Amino acid sequence: MKWSRTHTLIAGLGLLALTNAVALVGAAYNRSGEPEAKLRLTQRELQTPYRWYGNRENSGLALSLIWRVLNEPSTETEIYNWRYAGTGGTPAWLDKAKMEALGFDTSAPAASSDLQGSIRYEKQLPREVLLVLEVDGPTYQRSLELAKQYVARAEAKLASSPGDKNLGTRVNNAREALEWETDRNSRLFVVDAGLEPVALRAKYPDATRYAIVRGQVRPEIFGRNSEKVRGFVSGLSIESINVPFALRDVFGSAAQLNDIDQRNKAPFETTVAFGKQLEPWITTAAKK
Amino acid sequence: MSASSRSEAQQRADDIRTFQAELDRLEREGVLTLGADQRRAVADHQRDLLATYARAFDIDRDAQSRQLSIGMRAASFLGALALAASVFFLFYQFWGLFPETAQVGILLVAAFGTFAATFVIQARDATGYFTKLAAMVAFACFVLNIAMLGQIFNITPSDKALLPWAAFALLLAYACDLRLLLAAGILCLITFISARTGTWSGMYWLHFGERPENFFPAAIALLFLPQLLDHRRFQGFAAIYRVFGLLSLFLPMLVLANWGQISYLDFNRTLIQGFYQVLGFVGTAAVIWLGTKRHWPEVVNTGLTFFVIFLYTKFYDWWWDIMPKYLFFFVIGLSAVLLLVVFKRLRASGTRAAGESSP
Repeated sequence: MKWSRTHTLIAGLGLLALTNAVALVGAAYNRSGEPEAKLRLTQRELQTPYRWYGNRENSGLALSLIWRVLNEPSTETEIYNWRYAGTGGTPAWLDKAKMEALGFDTSAPAASSDLQGSIRYEKQLPREVLLVLEVDGPTYQRSLELAKQYVARAEAKLASSPGDKNLGTRVNNAREALEWETDRNSRLFVVDAGLEPVALRAKYPDATRYAIVRGQVRPEIFGRNSEKVRGFVSGLSIESINVPFALRDVFGSAAQLNDIDQRNKAPFETTVAFGKQLEPWITTAAKK
Repeated sequence: MSASSRSEAQQRADDIRTFQAELDRLEREGVLTLGADQRRAVADHQRDLLATYARAFDIDRDAQSRQLSIGMRAASFLGALALAASVFFLFYQFWGLFPETAQVGILLVAAFGTFAATFVIQARDATGYFTKLAAMVAFACFVLNIAMLGQIFNITPSDKALLPWAAFALLLAYACDLRLLLAAGILCLITFISARTGTWSGMYWLHFGERPENFFPAAIALLFLPQLLDHRRFQGFAAIYRVFGLLSLFLPMLVLANWGQISYLDFNRTLIQGFYQVLGFVGTAAVIWLGTKRHWPEVVNTGLTFFVIFLYTKFYDWWWDIMPKYLFFFVIGLSAVLLLVVFKRLRASGTRAAGESSP
């Protein structure tokens, strides 16, 4: 059989139709039935991305999910970074055993004296796993508590040496960090990881507080001699959520979104649903 | 003999022009004289052929039209890229003003409409230049279509999207005889195969570029593909496969020859770098030999370019810090002279072998 123009036309139209069908049916399946989770998120957890020169003409709007991890041992060093949540982190629960369960090879000794071992860890690239997001839950309360403790410790140190300028600055920074933690920082934390969605849902049954999403994790070695292994949550597979046309006005005018001083100022509350394929969408949004 | 594509018709027309010039020369030198009937028969046949080709494929019948064609090709290439970018930015500028159903509708109409328009234009455009513009816009619309569906419905990014894009670009490339779309399709294929290779080791697919060895299976597939498919009707297609195959082979090797720590191999960094340096030299030399033997100029040129890059990278590593600059560049100059001598010898031996094999 000779390949003709008609064959090409049919093949092309078929390819276009099939690809679109797969994408649209997949999206419809994700949103069918009862959502896997429904989280109430505010301007603290969803932010409009910075409009840089290259995407200023983009008339669409997608909100970035601002997520965090809590790493208790280094809370005091992290206090200065609390305003810059969402750039990854090394939570205490993502330890060697958890990393092994996620499929990483943790058999080699990690100590820096064993060069081959540490290289083996450095060479392991991020894997896609399931991450559990918790909104305004115990982890956020713990983070708030740590910020309060930090203020108390800084104030106690200043009280013992009242004239110390450095300690005075530290108290101011700690108070500011507490203010951010109380009123502005995201309350959305990555609190667990796994490979089986059913097992994770069984562990975190509250679908209004916990959502399961896809994200990436990679191993990291730390300690005085780099002898300890832990995991680093490096990102979510879907970092931003498209705003439906009908809800667009809730998030401000185009001019407001482009203005760096006005951006993310207007308070709002949204409901974000996570579907059968763990893909999110905004179901409701209202100005507060 | 009838030509089935524009490139085939153009090749035949060029052969006819060369034949006429050589025939005139032979007749002037008294080597060959055709009878009046023979001369008329040849001239009539060639005139008919050229007229048929000109009607069917709008070929270049003389040197001047060939020069103009080169200009048209450049304009068509730039225009195709610019129109594709224009479609992309046009949608971005206005898509937020429509509800989701209208957005999806516009994307579908654009993808299907531009594909159908490409076929309509192809039926009326013997030159192929306008078809190239339309095909490139159709490809851009399809890429935009799937990428935007992903954005509108927050679909998890996947390397699988690259497969229909590659298939669509290749379909348009073969249907409309377009090398630009072939290159686009091959790039999608390289990315898809490399990403899949990366995921076999467990990594998240977007990180596939961090292990250059992921590109090797794509390179091997691209180097073998033109041997399996008959590309006689598609001038330059086989060469494009081979060039992209060699780029996918030698670029990762070059990276690994300098940054061994990003290899899959579980050895000392210096050992890995040394291994890929040797592999780079042996590979490029083998490719130059193969290209010379099979008369694939693009393979010889690509192999030669990488051989020189591998060589000069090593020279830089060894001598840049310890040699005075004049001496360093003098050594580079000497090595170029040495390469010239080697290639002159290769060329002479090739010519000798061709002479001996001819009857």
